[in-house]
Amino acid sequence: MKHLLIIILSLHFFTLNLFGVDATLKIEKDVENRSRIALLDGSAVKNKRVFDILLSDLKISGHFIPDTTHHQGDITGKFIPPALKGQEYVLKYSMNQRSGSKLLIRLLKASDGTQVFKKSYAVPSKAKMPFLLHKAINDVNNVLKYPDISWINRYVVYAVYTTPGRSEIRLADYTMTYKKTIIKGGLNLFPKWADAKQRAIYYTSYKELIPTLYKLNIYNGSKQKIASSQGMMVCSDVSKNGSKILLTMAPEGQADIFEMNVASRSKKRVTNFKGIDVNGRYVDNESRIVFISNRLGYPNVFKKSINSAATSQVVYRGRNNNACDANGNKIVYSSRESNNAFGKNTFNLYLATSGSSSTRPLTATGTNQFPRFSMDGSIILYLKQNEYSTSIGYINLTSSQSLLFPFNDKKVQSIDW
Amino acid sequence: MTHKLLTLTAVISLFLSGCGQTAPNLNGSNNNISDANAISGDTVSIDESNYGNESEGNYNSSTDGFRSVYFDFGDYAISSNMENNMNNNIKVAMAASSKIKIEGNCDEFGTDEYNYALGLKRAKAVKDSLVSQGLTSGKTVMVSFGESSPVCTEPNDSCYDRNRRVDIRLVK
Repeated sequence: MKHLLIIILSLHFFTLNLFGVDATLKIEKDVENRSRIALLDGSAVKNKRVFDILLSDLKISGHFIPDTTHHQGDITGKFIPPALKGQEYVLKYSMNQRSGSKLLIRLLKASDGTQVFKKSYAVPSKAKMPFLLHKAINDVNNVLKYPDISWINRYVVYAVYTTPGRSEIRLADYTMTYKKTIIKGGLNLFPKWADAKQRAIYYTSYKELIPTLYKLNIYNGSKQKIASSQGMMVCSDVSKNGSKILLTMAPEGQADIFEMNVASRSKKRVTNFKGIDVNGRYVDNESRIVFISNRLGYPNVFKKSINSAATSQVVYRGRNNNACDANGNKIVYSSRESNNAFGKNTFNLYLATSGSSSTRPLTATGTNQFPRFSMDGSIILYLKQNEYSTSIGYINLTSSQSLLFPFNDKKVQSIDW
Repeated sequence: MTHKLLTLTAVISLFLSGCGQTAPNLNGSNNNISDANAISGDTVSIDESNYGNESEGNYNSSTDGFRSVYFDFGDYAISSNMENNMNNNIKVAMAASSKIKIEGNCDEFGTDEYNYALGLKRAKAVKDSLVSQGLTSGKTVMVSFGESSPVCTEPNDSCYDRNRRVDIRLVK
């Protein structure tokens, strides 16, 4: 009996150690669960840009192993070219941009040409063509019952410096193929989506004496003044239902984090430190925040309950961790890993969790900044710069795949997704 | 015996002094440096005590009689080099009839919100200095512009120095 107890305890101990890894940090590579798929362009005019976007969508979803050849053929009928018989699915498509953008897709089984799904899409604007393609791949993903990838349909909103003291706020699709300036003139910064449906943004305007936060409906242009503060005023995060926001304000000249009830406009001070507290992000079901503070003499990631004073350090590596984002209990932060006073520095991204001191490196080279989680927390958007170019990157945390797209706006100030 | 010793010492001294190398005459033609062409012109002489005063003279992005205050990389303490500028600023501030806007600025190397907070700490350092010398706190308003408003956009050190600054102006 005594021996049996020892064996059970030993097994229990072993099992805890074996599986006691943070699920967030586990890299899944379930290639077997991905579908092999080929794209077959049935458009009257072969369009490489359309093909490239469809291919990117399939790749970054993490659910497909796409054939990277741009095949052409007839969109109608059951015929599957012999070269594509080794695939599981063939997605036939036709894009027509003579007037607006019209897309027809047909998903066929590669083995016998059986049609699994067919749908047509149209939008009056030619420029919005990428959104049709994202929607189509999202639908194909859903038809095959893969986990949600609706983040590919979302707008990215970002601010860029145009000239000293001037900026613009722009919208884009995630590949940066579609771009539109929605606010220009003056200095307008820190755009942040105000709701899950992406109908409004918060942004900071500098046209008045002190920085002022506005909420703008991006469809009808209606604008509300939310709050203002001397020093700085930034909407750093929005609660899932949009009823509360985290603000960085400095009413007495020191940057601290406040939580505002949007309906009542009442504010609650969350941090109170004489140094720098910025970049508040909700974690742990919005009961706590993570934020960047220099309370140890250098910028680092800390965590604090919204309703109590206790503050704890989240990250125990790096001496300059100056920006972070959070989703659920996942935290991504950028860390400056070189110390050039002038010129480009190496910034890398790391993934952490609010309940653990473990971190997982996500990038290894270059300048990687502005990390932002997708709504579901499965993807991280970031900006990658090297000596010659800037790219917008995406890391699929589940499949560990990453993609980079060219990004021609040089001086990005802030970005949200 | 003593006499002999003194004589020997004198002889050795004369011998040793006779072995001494002639000091080169760097200004004359008897320069014993054979590769004279390697030295062309004089070396530079840098007086670093002028740091900051130079910006006071040539660089100033403040208005209404105020002088900009410049900061070291990543720092928000007012250095002693800026004393002249701050002495000027308190005089102008005390005489001002309207509110004073103190604007914190950074170079381009910071990111996101943290850089704006750093600019604000610089503005706060200047405000605290002015208030400690008698200016009413309510007469000031601070705004951080982070890296958004560089006065210089060339990629060199002196340019970056000019962007890490606090500008002061009257609210009109």
